[in-house]
Amino acid sequence: MSSAFNPVVQREFFGIVRSPKAFATLLALTITFSIAVLMRWPTDATVDLSGVQSIQVFRVFGYGLLAGVVFLVPAFPATSIVNEKNAGTLALLLNSPLSPLSIYFGKLAGVLLFALLVLLASLPGAAACYAMGGIDLKSGLGLFYFVLLLLVFQYATLGMLISSYVQSTDAGVRLTYSVIFALFFLTLIPNAFFPGGSGVMGTVAQWVRYLSPVPVVMQIMGQGGLGSKGLITSPGNMQFILFTLVSSLVFAAVTISRLNYRIFDQSRAQGVITDDRGLVARLLRRFLFIVDPQRRKPGIPWYLNPVMVKEFRCRRFGRSQWLFRLVALCAVVSMVLTFAAATSVTSWGTETIGGLMVILQVILIVVMTPSLTSGLISGERDGGGWELLRLTPLSSLKIVRGKLLSVLWTLLLVLMATLPGYLVMIYIQPQMWYQVNLVLVCLAWTVVYTVAVSAAVGSLFRTTAVATTVTYVVVMSLFVIPLLVWLGRGAPFGFEMVQRVLLINPVGAALSVIETPGFEHYNLLPAAWYVAGGFSALMFLVFGLKVWRLTRPV
Amino acid sequence: MSDQQPIIETVDLTKRYDEFTALDSLSITVHSGQILGFIGPNGAGKTTTIRILVGLLKPTSGTARIAGADCLTESRKIKRLVGYMPDDFGKYSNMRVGEYLDFFGAAYGIGRRKRIVRIDEVLEIAGATYMKDLFVDALSRGMQQRVAIARTLMHDPQVMILDEPANGLDPQARIDMRTMLLRLADMGKTLIVTSHILPELARVCDIVAMITKGRLRAFGTLDEIMRDIQQRRTFEIQLVDHDQVDRVVALVESWSREMNHESEVTGATTETMVRFTTGLNDREITPLLTHLVGSGEAIAQFREVPTDLEDAFLSVASGSHGGDAPQTQPATQEAAS
Repeated sequence: MSSAFNPVVQREFFGIVRSPKAFATLLALTITFSIAVLMRWPTDATVDLSGVQSIQVFRVFGYGLLAGVVFLVPAFPATSIVNEKNAGTLALLLNSPLSPLSIYFGKLAGVLLFALLVLLASLPGAAACYAMGGIDLKSGLGLFYFVLLLLVFQYATLGMLISSYVQSTDAGVRLTYSVIFALFFLTLIPNAFFPGGSGVMGTVAQWVRYLSPVPVVMQIMGQGGLGSKGLITSPGNMQFILFTLVSSLVFAAVTISRLNYRIFDQSRAQGVITDDRGLVARLLRRFLFIVDPQRRKPGIPWYLNPVMVKEFRCRRFGRSQWLFRLVALCAVVSMVLTFAAATSVTSWGTETIGGLMVILQVILIVVMTPSLTSGLISGERDGGGWELLRLTPLSSLKIVRGKLLSVLWTLLLVLMATLPGYLVMIYIQPQMWYQVNLVLVCLAWTVVYTVAVSAAVGSLFRTTAVATTVTYVVVMSLFVIPLLVWLGRGAPFGFEMVQRVLLINPVGAALSVIETPGFEHYNLLPAAWYVAGGFSALMFLVFGLKVWRLTRPV
Repeated sequence: MSDQQPIIETVDLTKRYDEFTALDSLSITVHSGQILGFIGPNGAGKTTTIRILVGLLKPTSGTARIAGADCLTESRKIKRLVGYMPDDFGKYSNMRVGEYLDFFGAAYGIGRRKRIVRIDEVLEIAGATYMKDLFVDALSRGMQQRVAIARTLMHDPQVMILDEPANGLDPQARIDMRTMLLRLADMGKTLIVTSHILPELARVCDIVAMITKGRLRAFGTLDEIMRDIQQRRTFEIQLVDHDQVDRVVALVESWSREMNHESEVTGATTETMVRFTTGLNDREITPLLTHLVGSGEAIAQFREVPTDLEDAFLSVASGSHGGDAPQTQPATQEAAS
């Protein structure tokens, strides 16, 4: 390797490629793409001159590849800077003659080269789609790969920006996936309720929609922009490209500006609590906080599981003041939505409002749960706490119970906070109370299901960052794949196929019960509950067995 | 200090990982109130032994008992009897020291009221009272070690096992740690302490176990180990004039020949000193001084060069004391008594 070659690129790229995880990922992706194409490959001898069949194959392949990029790419940049910082090697790099710019671009190039490998692994599949005919090389395949490259660039710069701010690798992973998930899905919601772009709200919603790659990809796949109506289809390719490029450059610039002494310039927390402050400060804090985070805590009472209390106390988000804020936010959002429907500000029906509330809650659950649950065991093992926990007389059952309860209580509080919205809905349409009940049961199952999957998957890994990444990928896949299949209802997927796939999680059932447009024809209950119950029981069993095994002498 | 019943007893304790033997037939006995210094290079098997004792590892063969409880089959008893401080602190983020200790107290089933009092007690013993409201993840290494000791003391264990407690500490913190260990011993605790900083152990330990490559090389009080390992002692004869050096070297050599004992004698003219190593004991060496004085030599000082734990350890680690051959346990029983 010549001396002109950036040594950071060499280390980053080969570091990623050498890991068995990366090899397994590439192998799995290549196999998945091939299988996806083969599954939809025509088996009869007739020639399809319309190109419909090839478009169907291309859609399956394209959405799969998009999901692959969204799930896999952020994991590497999200840990890239914080890992170096915690290992002490970032200080060595900054102390070397390498400039912050070359360090940054070295790291970025490492991630981008790996992402390029992922895209290269998909080329045989893409070539097969193209060979079937009916897909334009420039406006179809070419534009699709260009969008993917832009996304990779944006996610890599975003992940590295977040990585430069956080203090631990798992926090980097959690935050990066949450932001990307928000950019990918949340940005679509306003436009779904203000379609057409009329009025200020409509224009804002239209612009927010350009932040997500989904409308552009759907347009490429020949499905029209998501949320578009009639002739007012405007996927906003240019706006998306512009936003992605500008935001990536801003992310990169901010990260580079942080690659100096300031990244380490952080004093230790002094730990001054409210009880030790002056009278004015004490009164002010008690006035401003519902639950003062800096107050002196009482001992753990005998009736509470100490592991559960410990989990709440050592999680920043688990602390009461944060929980109260989240619960308050959820309550306000649900009330506002229902109020909007009740006062006929919009033309939404209660079904649409109900669907929106369900989607918002599911997004909250899917984003929060892996973050809270994946590190239940790996976090302890990472920080050395597991050894200490094993030394105590706590049984594995008590540890499992305490850890799971800490997550379940948090999520149930969030769910409960949306109850006022549902109550207003029932007040407007009393006949909906039965549907609302069924929806709430579905959501409760969603919580249990997500917690079970996250806990089981997270417990299989030793390090928190890996556990969090894999858990996010698995949980998101379980929730996104059925939605992608639902988007392809009619073609390429038939009614039966979509109905079966929607049973994978209880969200489809909730949306069908509340008669959300597009879901009203599916009959998913009570089968969805049985599937969720059975799968959750299996996952809890895996989690329990793993904890039991880890508490045994080896 | 110790009574008759051993509190820690291992018999032929062995741990194998496939072909690799991490611990090979370790047999030691420690009595109540003693401080055992556990010495060995990295990978010698110290932590393996400790982890078997606290019930985290399963031995391949042999037994380990603490206060009569089997470390493998009676793990619940062991957890109450033993307080273990691993090398890794085991921190929880966003938690204050008080909350941290409160959690471990609750995990050990200590009632709330008793726990609140106990937290103040253990923090006082560990000299960490002022840290109660600090965040655990913001503590320095020395502070962490104190909090770890406090955590280990929460359930008032009979036996405390401390893995490298002086690791990473500054000189003052090491002195404080030593004082704390002696204080714990005064409280009647039995301690097992591992350390690479050998002078620290030499000052606090009643007995020492030296282990290399999974095998016990020496076990007993420090004096006993020195006697056993340091079979050849080094003496220095400080003379008055430079011209004496050659004459005294010749006298020592001829005396050794007469005594039929091999000695290595060297003279240092610039230091006006003669050094010699011999396997003779105190009674046997005394006539040499009489012989030198009787020969008309003026002797300023006649002294034995003191050996310390570090020398003994290096002697064992370098294999000069038996190499891989089964070790002698000079004082297993004596140390116990």
